[in-house]
Amino acid sequence: MSGNLRFLNKSITQSLCVLSRGYARRTSFPDYYQNPIFRKDEQSRLIEEGELSRRAKLPVKPPTVYESSSVYHDPLVNKVINHVMEKGKKQLARSLVEKAFENIKRKQIERYHLASSPDEKAKIELNPKDILHKAVENSKPLLQLTPIKRGGITYQVPGPITERRSLFLAIKWLLEATYEKEKQVHFPEQFAWEVLEAANNTGKVIKRKQDLHRQCEANRAYAHYRWQ
Amino acid sequence: MRLYPFLRASPSNNNARAPQREPVPFQMLLPLSLKKTVSGKGDKLNEAACMQEMALMFACFKKSEFNQQECLKEVSEFKSCYKSYSEKMSTLRKQGKKGILVPGEKKLTHRQMNELLKRFPPKK
Repeated sequence: MSGNLRFLNKSITQSLCVLSRGYARRTSFPDYYQNPIFRKDEQSRLIEEGELSRRAKLPVKPPTVYESSSVYHDPLVNKVINHVMEKGKKQLARSLVEKAFENIKRKQIERYHLASSPDEKAKIELNPKDILHKAVENSKPLLQLTPIKRGGITYQVPGPITERRSLFLAIKWLLEATYEKEKQVHFPEQFAWEVLEAANNTGKVIKRKQDLHRQCEANRAYAHYRWQ
Repeated sequence: MRLYPFLRASPSNNNARAPQREPVPFQMLLPLSLKKTVSGKGDKLNEAACMQEMALMFACFKKSEFNQQECLKEVSEFKSCYKSYSEKMSTLRKQGKKGILVPGEKKLTHRQMNELLKRFPPKK
């Protein structure tokens, strides 16, 4: 039964994709404590599958502050905010990211009004969160190089990458590209620029991803050194 | 100055360097039977996953100057291949760790093998 539970748990966290649990203070829970399910759609899925009555009897970890059933909650945006955050200053990080969203929105609206025909207007995406999703999706690498030592020589061996790691790399690259800026340019402006570029499949981050793919292609002869 | 080195060096019946006399008597140091368990050394898989899909993807990438948008089919195939592979491996690992026996399985992990050997111990 516990194996079954763990599987269920895993499938839920995978579906949320980016959820990682962090509390303000150090806490630890026994194995059998379940992660809270705080999204309406997840809950309705549980009811459909008939899992709810069983799960209701199990102890559940408390949700963290940012885990809400609000329509504005987005796990990916939360993840990005956490990546931007330094020294636990979440409010500052959140304000920076939201300012960047505002900049994206302004730019897109400007483009929207400059566009002449309704066809062009329909093509322009105005929701900054959707643009961020697209940008992250575009900057996710498909492959990774792992150093493997064989006979005293370290080979860079290309191989598939896990979903989790590729998401991490995508966000990291987006932020690294943003930090590479003039001092006069502020974070929200540069971040908005990088996100728009990545969503458009151009820019530094996409180039970095393609460079990684190129390197993987160059080292493809070593691919059989990989072991899983 | 060494004295009579040839006397010490030459193997004779008195020292251990002499060749054994045939027939050499057999000494049983361990019981002559197989152990009731198998070790897990041979279980390590040395197979790289999704090589075919990766090669196809690389070919497409090369054709389209590493523009992912033009290789959506290859990319999705590669992704799904790795996903199914990792799922398969994780279930295998889980079953293997617990030694859960799947009926009709031909290739057993060492833990599954040990489980079977424990249930049906070899007769002496």
